[in-house]
Amino acid sequence: MATQYNIPVGAQHIALLEPLHFKFTTENEKIMKAEANVGYVHRGIEQACCSKFKFRQVSFVVGRVCGLCSISHTTCYSQVAEKLMQLDISKKAKYLRMLVIELDRIHSHLLCLSHVAENSGFEALFMKTMAYREFSMELLEAVCGNRIQYDFSIVGGVTRDLRPDVAKMVLEKLKIFKPQLDELVDIYSNNYTLGLKNKGVGVIAKDDVYRLSAVGPFARAAGIPIDVRNETEDTLPWKEAGFEVVTETTGDVYARNLVRLKELYVSMRIIENVINGLPEGDLAVDFKGFPSGEAINRLEAPRGELFYYAKGNKTQILERLKIKAPTFSNVAAMVHGFHDNEYASAPAIIGSYDPCLSCTSR
Amino acid sequence: MKSFFDAIGNLFKKPVTTEFPVQQTYIPDDYRGLIVFEESLCIWCRKCEMACPPGAIVFSQDIETGKQEYHYSPYVCIYCKECVRACPAPGALLQSSEPGHPGLKEENLNNGWNKLFDESLESRAAYAAEKKRKQAEQKAATDKAKAEAAAEAAKQNPEQPIE
Repeated sequence: MATQYNIPVGAQHIALLEPLHFKFTTENEKIMKAEANVGYVHRGIEQACCSKFKFRQVSFVVGRVCGLCSISHTTCYSQVAEKLMQLDISKKAKYLRMLVIELDRIHSHLLCLSHVAENSGFEALFMKTMAYREFSMELLEAVCGNRIQYDFSIVGGVTRDLRPDVAKMVLEKLKIFKPQLDELVDIYSNNYTLGLKNKGVGVIAKDDVYRLSAVGPFARAAGIPIDVRNETEDTLPWKEAGFEVVTETTGDVYARNLVRLKELYVSMRIIENVINGLPEGDLAVDFKGFPSGEAINRLEAPRGELFYYAKGNKTQILERLKIKAPTFSNVAAMVHGFHDNEYASAPAIIGSYDPCLSCTSR
Repeated sequence: MKSFFDAIGNLFKKPVTTEFPVQQTYIPDDYRGLIVFEESLCIWCRKCEMACPPGAIVFSQDIETGKQEYHYSPYVCIYCKECVRACPAPGALLQSSEPGHPGLKEENLNNGWNKLFDESLESRAAYAAEKKRKQAEQKAATDKAKAEAAAEAAKQNPEQPIE
């Protein structure tokens, strides 16, 4: 038996966007075992939501859980609070929520793709992807008034209307982005050197993904069509807006890249459909009273299924709020995916997992 | 081979970056900026203070006159516009498109604002206590005056026939 070495990666490491600690046990440069520690960014947000903030203010607090999927958290909380209050929100508000969620998905997926390219050693592609990503940030700023913390959903609806000139600008910029995305798909799927680093690396079989209950693009890359947008229609009308589930079969870094790229086409189609078929209606409904009872809600964040549980006790302040982020579901499969890979490909694999630690440890 | 020619071709393209100080970056005209307060339109209901998620608005109260004063910290504010939505008086609070400015160390932002916040709450509690005390005093005075008047009346016609 060859000598085994323990190599720690993180909590602060050049290949990581957020504090995450991996302990690899390697043998002749091959990773035999990996352990993960994900609890470095704990801020006690759940406790703050149940003690310090009123239930209407909580939608702004949970938006600060994560910078990348801010709108997913805000919308998921707003929906769970609406279930507690038994509110029916207007169709226009639902459509506007879908619009911002999909714009957010574009910027989050492009960030992840650029990060994979950088960690694979393809710095120029990283620059290119980040340059192409800029349009989605500008659109989010135009629609929500802020680049990162959108604060777009509130309990009962949304905060801002979509102005006609902004809608026109969104469609125009998407038209410019489409050939750019074709170019990116071409590079990510056909580039020889990137293929050496990505194809057949970090493979997770379909059975393992199923057994370890992974979610999001991670599971879809292995061939499991698991997507909340495909499963429920009670909160947002995804199918009406033209949603289709995207899957790949191989389950390696390459497949995860392709799933993310193809989802961008779906997101663009949803955005176009939402803007072209935006119904008339109120932005937000007025309501009185306090939440009571229990409710759960699920929403497809860029990284997978986001789950919220809330319990009210007929006061201003919630009794319990539980957030289960997609990365938390993926940790077991993430650790499994390193097995039998070269240590040198670990950064690319970590990048392709797209871990969001701020969500996970809250 | 294709990527090689792409790389050569890129040498002759114009750069994707903008020359920032000369050419301005894109800023939408309804950018979420600082909150503007119009004192003459305010009805002093304090709904904005109750709605504000980070606690960037607080009202203090003068103990003598009971006049309220609006305090706003642009450094605590998250520009969410929740106060404007909660405001029942149209025009009293508005969101401008002026971006927030970076804070300076000399301004003692965090501790200064926390102190002002606590003092404002204390001033309101003090005013409420003072009002209660004054009311009690007034009530005692009126009660005393009533009792005196009754005693006077009883003195003036002492023989009340009791049936």
